[in-house]
Amino acid sequence: MRVTQGLNQTQFITALDSLESSLSQTQNQVSSGLAFTTPSQNPIAAGTVSNYDQVLAQSKQYTANGNSAQTGLQTEDTALTQVQNQLQSLRSLALEANSGTQTGEDLSAIAAQATQIQNTLLTVANTQDGNGQYIFSGFATQTQPFSLTATGAAYAGDQGQQHVQIAAGQTVAAGDNGDVVFNQIKTGNGVFTAAANAGNTGSGVIGATTVSGAAGYTGGTFSINFTAANTYNVENAASVVVGTGTYTPGQTITYGGAQIALSGQPAVGDSFDVAASGNQSLFTTVQNLVTALQAGANSASSKPALNNAIAGALNNIDQAISQTSTVQANVGGRLNTITTQQSQATSQQTQLQQSISSLQSLDYASAITSLDSQNTTLSAAMQAYTLTQGLTLFKYIQ
Amino acid sequence: MSDVFGISISALQAFQTALQVTSNNIANANTPGYDKESIELTSAIPQSAGSAPIGAGVNVAGISRAYSQLSANQLNISQSNLGQLNSLQNYTSQIDNIVGTTAGGLSTAIQNYYSAWSTVSNDPTSTAARQALLSAAQSVSAAFSSTNGQLQGLNSNINSAVAADVTQINSLSTSISALNQQIIVGTADGGGQPPNDLIDQRDQLVSNLSKLVGITTTAGSNGAVNIFVGNGQPLVLGNVTSALTTIPNQFNATQLEVSIASNGANPISSQITSGDLGGLLAARTQAVDPAINQLGQIATALSQTANAQQNSGLDLNGQLGANLFSVGGPQAVSSASNTDGTSATVSIANVGALTTNDYVLRYQGGAYSLTNASDGSAVAFTGSGTALSPISAAGLSIVLSGTPASGDQFLIKPTAQAAATFSVALTSTSQLAAAGAIQTTAANSNAGNATISSGTVITASNPALLNPVNIQFTSATTYTINGGASQPYTSGSNIAQNGWQVQISGTPVAGDTFTVQSNAGGTGDNRNALASANQQTLGVLSNGTVSVNGAVGALITGIGSQAQQVNTAQTAQTAVNSQALQNVQSVSGVNLDEEAANLLQWQQAYQASAQALSIANSTFTFFMDSINGTYS
Repeated sequence: MRVTQGLNQTQFITALDSLESSLSQTQNQVSSGLAFTTPSQNPIAAGTVSNYDQVLAQSKQYTANGNSAQTGLQTEDTALTQVQNQLQSLRSLALEANSGTQTGEDLSAIAAQATQIQNTLLTVANTQDGNGQYIFSGFATQTQPFSLTATGAAYAGDQGQQHVQIAAGQTVAAGDNGDVVFNQIKTGNGVFTAAANAGNTGSGVIGATTVSGAAGYTGGTFSINFTAANTYNVENAASVVVGTGTYTPGQTITYGGAQIALSGQPAVGDSFDVAASGNQSLFTTVQNLVTALQAGANSASSKPALNNAIAGALNNIDQAISQTSTVQANVGGRLNTITTQQSQATSQQTQLQQSISSLQSLDYASAITSLDSQNTTLSAAMQAYTLTQGLTLFKYIQ
Repeated sequence: MSDVFGISISALQAFQTALQVTSNNIANANTPGYDKESIELTSAIPQSAGSAPIGAGVNVAGISRAYSQLSANQLNISQSNLGQLNSLQNYTSQIDNIVGTTAGGLSTAIQNYYSAWSTVSNDPTSTAARQALLSAAQSVSAAFSSTNGQLQGLNSNINSAVAADVTQINSLSTSISALNQQIIVGTADGGGQPPNDLIDQRDQLVSNLSKLVGITTTAGSNGAVNIFVGNGQPLVLGNVTSALTTIPNQFNATQLEVSIASNGANPISSQITSGDLGGLLAARTQAVDPAINQLGQIATALSQTANAQQNSGLDLNGQLGANLFSVGGPQAVSSASNTDGTSATVSIANVGALTTNDYVLRYQGGAYSLTNASDGSAVAFTGSGTALSPISAAGLSIVLSGTPASGDQFLIKPTAQAAATFSVALTSTSQLAAAGAIQTTAANSNAGNATISSGTVITASNPALLNPVNIQFTSATTYTINGGASQPYTSGSNIAQNGWQVQISGTPVAGDTFTVQSNAGGTGDNRNALASANQQTLGVLSNGTVSVNGAVGALITGIGSQAQQVNTAQTAQTAVNSQALQNVQSVSGVNLDEEAANLLQWQQAYQASAQALSIANSTFTFFMDSINGTYS
């Protein structure tokens, strides 16, 4: 092939341009530490890194969400422990009042203590978190949920429950509303409730109530009426007599799966009303107890009524303790879920960071090697150019 | 004796000319387009034919230039292709940089926006968290507009470059036709001897022209050359030039197209596929516009999903959420050549079916046709263009204001303006809808164990959405809604009313009541914020398979791949061009060593001829002196 000096020149310049451009790119990589600085240098990796970055940011956000939920749940956990403590104190007070040796003043003092507990419970139920949000008011976190009334407490919150995203597709409840914790507490033994009629004159006092039989409680609403000192009949809700029996004090009366222990001697005409359990506010339970204690303090003769009221209150307090324990167990479960999730998220984040780094970070060994070889090529090209430039016939024409 | 004088003088003249040719070659060794010339010598025919005819010296038959039409044509084609790739690469690498830096910013901004929703969900009433969300939304808007602005900037660069190329092409065409004229005259004057330098100059201009635009050439009469562009539109015919001009695009007056000046209305842009001009036009249609559309598609998807979620939740004031983002919808542009005033309106029917293509809707012979604007392929559609039966295709719904005139065209641009117009519509932090629209309540007096779900909004636009509704059980298996007709109850099945849907599960008892009502006051509710945050990974585009995130990643990969592909093609074409140049140079280039050898060769021949003349002279003098007796 015939070669000309002009062509040599052009080709050398083209080669120089391309060599210097690769050298500068490698130099850029080495100084930035990045395997690519524009997407075109590695389109797939650039797109993948962008996606990984998003997943990583999301995972970190989930961790932050978990931390926030943890704080909220720990606040709730503390509040529930306080509720339980108060309920245990209330329970002791009720047992003390029930002991039979209490004078009117004693009962008054106990009632005052119960009122104190009621106020403490109200404070706990109106707990606010670090941001001033009420933790037991459902979605209405800016509304104070509970305020005392003559019969208990009014609830101004709703039944909403905040959830927090702690992983892709996984949320955890960050709290519980006041209805669930304080208001939706079953009465009696949780299945049915038995209460002495307000007009009873005898000394019949209701003891333990249990559910018997495989079929469970089927009785619906009924009443046990004493037609004589030792005989009773059972009337259903429609006042139809559906059963009769004889009674000796301390006997357990069974009807429709309900077993009701009765002690003392009811008077003729006394009745005991049985119904399926409903929901009752904890505050109503406390208020009822306070009311009964105050009534007991004012009239020594209504001892059986006080005993019956305390027995009912004890049942309801036990239900409340059990309800708050259940909620507290749930809270503990959620805290565990968050902890588990966060440790998984941490290892996922490490993994992602490694992946991003392996895609994005420069392999210095190979970069330095190519920098070296590009450098060698460039200086060789320059050397070759200078050598061939000296070659011309004109030099020899004298 | 006079023969020797004549022969020597002819040789002296010939070698002098040869030395001139060689010097001229050396002088033009670095002149672009110069073709090496060589002298053609022939021996002179003897005039008298004796018994042994003796030659009569040497004649200069002509001066020829070393030229290969094939190599020159190959070089021109290769230069056109390289010119196209060079200018295309100029733009793809700029887009690559824009995407690598600012779209990287876009990806981060979108990430931060979704994270901000998550933070709001942790504390829905926090003004600080809400303000951070608004700021994050502003950053997304800024990232869209800056990326889009830079891409639009490229388009206006392309416009100026197209205009500049057209001016330069016209100037070259004019020079070529002028040189053609001189060559025609020179060839005639030279008695058929070609005017080499004019031809070299002309061919160099043709070569320069081929860098600007792909051309085809044919040889005209008397050494002239004819030049054509596109599908055979003449640019130069002998000494006549046909100028190119720029005209506004029929759908977009700010976009310049190329046409032949004498036939101005018909753009030939689509026919120009090589040369710098071809590269500019390709950069516009293959790189810049698709990138703008793709960015717009992401902007549309992000705003549509965010707004829909916002609309189905309640803000801090207890109002249904207003749109968070405002974004320009699809456009339908009437062609400037439409003959009546019928207009088209386009709306998005299904964001998941949106593409990054533009479409041309044409009404011809009583029927519509829809084609892909970039490649002209037909696109299937349904409907007849009326409000009752809109033309539906590619997630769009097109309604025409009347029946257009036959031949009318509309350009449908689904997402072209979305990224440019993307902005945050809300100004107050309290307007962010973090709460769900409805809340459900189970009455505390309920005796059964049935529970109600928190409810979801299906149709946010239902005017009765926030009205309170009582679901009352009349037995364990039947319920009424607001005291209406009795309905059968199945645990866990959907109960829908007023645009919402709830599920009641468990065993209710007659008299149990559930309430569904407005969540006004439920400021601590974060359901809508959670749903908004989860949109980050929600499949929206490509029929619900690609998330907003994924689309940003795909944009980066797509732009990067295109730039990489053009870079590779350009590198390959540079090698091809270098080879073509080498081929031309190996035929036509001046090798100085060769010329040095030639110089010596002609110098020696000249010296020998001069010596012959000198000998003839001394022989003649000796002869004359002998006759005159002066010789002793």
